Amino acid sequence: MILALTLRQLVGRRPALLMVAFAALPILAAIIFRIADPDVSPERWAANDLLKGLIVTLFLPLSTLIFGTMALGSEIEDGTAVYLLSKPLPRSHVISAKLAAAWLPAALLVLLSTEISAAIALQGTGGSSILVGFTIATALGSFVYCCVFVLLSVLTSHALIAGLIYVFLWEGVVTELFSGTRIFSVRQYTLGVADLIANTSHRTFEANLGGVPALVLMAVVTAAAVGVAIRRLSRFEVRGLV
Amino acid sequence: MAAEPRPVSPPAAASTPLIELMNASRWYGNVVAVNNISFTVGPGITGLLGPNGAGKSTILHMAAGFLKPSSGTVDVLGGPAWRNPEIYRQVGLVPEREAVYPFLTGYEFVLLNARLHKLPAPHDAAMRAIRAVGMEDARHRAMGGYSKGMKQRVKFATAIVHDPALLLLDEPFSGADPRQRLQMTDLLREMAAEGRTIVFSSHILEEVERLADNVLVIVAGRLAASGDFHQIRRLMTDRPHTFTLRSGDNRRLAAALVADPSVVGIELTDDRLSVRASDFGGFAVAAPRVARASGVTLFEFLPTDESLESVFSYLVER
Repeated sequence: MILALTLRQLVGRRPALLMVAFAALPILAAIIFRIADPDVSPERWAANDLLKGLIVTLFLPLSTLIFGTMALGSEIEDGTAVYLLSKPLPRSHVISAKLAAAWLPAALLVLLSTEISAAIALQGTGGSSILVGFTIATALGSFVYCCVFVLLSVLTSHALIAGLIYVFLWEGVVTELFSGTRIFSVRQYTLGVADLIANTSHRTFEANLGGVPALVLMAVVTAAAVGVAIRRLSRFEVRGLV
Repeated sequence: MAAEPRPVSPPAAASTPLIELMNASRWYGNVVAVNNISFTVGPGITGLLGPNGAGKSTILHMAAGFLKPSSGTVDVLGGPAWRNPEIYRQVGLVPEREAVYPFLTGYEFVLLNARLHKLPAPHDAAMRAIRAVGMEDARHRAMGGYSKGMKQRVKFATAIVHDPALLLLDEPFSGADPRQRLQMTDLLREMAAEGRTIVFSSHILEEVERLADNVLVIVAGRLAASGDFHQIRRLMTDRPHTFTLRSGDNRRLAAALVADPSVVGIELTDDRLSVRASDFGGFAVAAPRVARASGVTLFEFLPTDESLESVFSYLVER
């Protein structure tokens, strides 16, 4: 019920429609790459520029940020969350439904964009392992991102801004400058898992974080984010809500 | 409004209060919203009366389990209200905020609430609640197009869909037209007669007078008075009232008025008389009569401070 309600709520919202348009960008980039036929290996370009650069670095966090913060945050903001919270439901039920509602459209868009753009870029090459690696990694990464962003929406009324700071400042700048901080980056986990599954040569693609630690960290962050979100929602004070 | 027979869910124990606040306070940083309040509420209709910002909503939010008391306890149905979602099986809530899901129809919204309560026959329960608030004709319209009064009624339907023993309503009549107010009043009376406990907040004296059996007057976060409405009304009308008068001869008028039994005190200022009277209605009738008998022309006759806030302030200072 909450899942269906939230999906109806998300579909048709302007930011969600913007993400649909955004999903076409990697596909467009792949088409341009094929037409331009530059002097670079398609596997290398697909792994580093298309999948890592455009999808994992940009589209994946933005899409999950939009859906993750809207799934519960918009109801908290406009006051309709009171209709969910004034029911004899475990808060874990609310959080899990909201997570599913955020993850389904975000993962669908990211995976569609990943599959189509990578298929175009890698056409006629032996890069299927790259496609498989990034497909699984973005599916997992999108879930972890959604957990983090749903948590943010319960913690702060400025979840979107906090999420943008995390994506662009923390993941985009800090984790690039200081290697020790990469264990706190969902982007690095996603790339680590992609590298583990794709198993390509280092010249084609290499992640900064090992695949196994990345998987472990994904599990830890997911469990922590979901646990804190449930705990926070069960102590949620709805001052302006009622 | 259709008088739909509704199965009665008797309160947990008719003799025990459904809401009990014991030395409950709530503050936000340095601002004290509710200050050491204690009261109990049992079956029937109880009105929380007070000016805007008095703390009525904070009390309702605490009773609804949406705010943790900073100190003291707030119990509902025999258990703590805070962090206790099980109370919602027996509690219905009508929030003050207008927000609803604009893409849902009224029927879908009420049905959603029935399903979230895991009612065995959600469609029947939803239709019963919709009929009770008189929204049958508009039930298949998206709520985005509803008027404020219609939203209020459909919110009310979601609150009663599971037949709660306790109903909490925050400013339930805001936005409703006179006909809708009357319908809602009848419905609340009917529900109270069935043994339910209904608590509503309002800053309008007449609204509370019309509906509440029991009144809790909240001013500046404190319980200023409590009891049945007639007791409260008496306290309010018995207080001294101040009038400002301007006449052709203030000194002569003052000398004549001082003999009137309703006059408590008179003060002569530059060009006006300030009269304190114990009986508002009595003095309003006596003053023009005394002026005429004294041959004094009365130019101005004004009760100076009859705002609800001043009435509340009087009750606090009493």
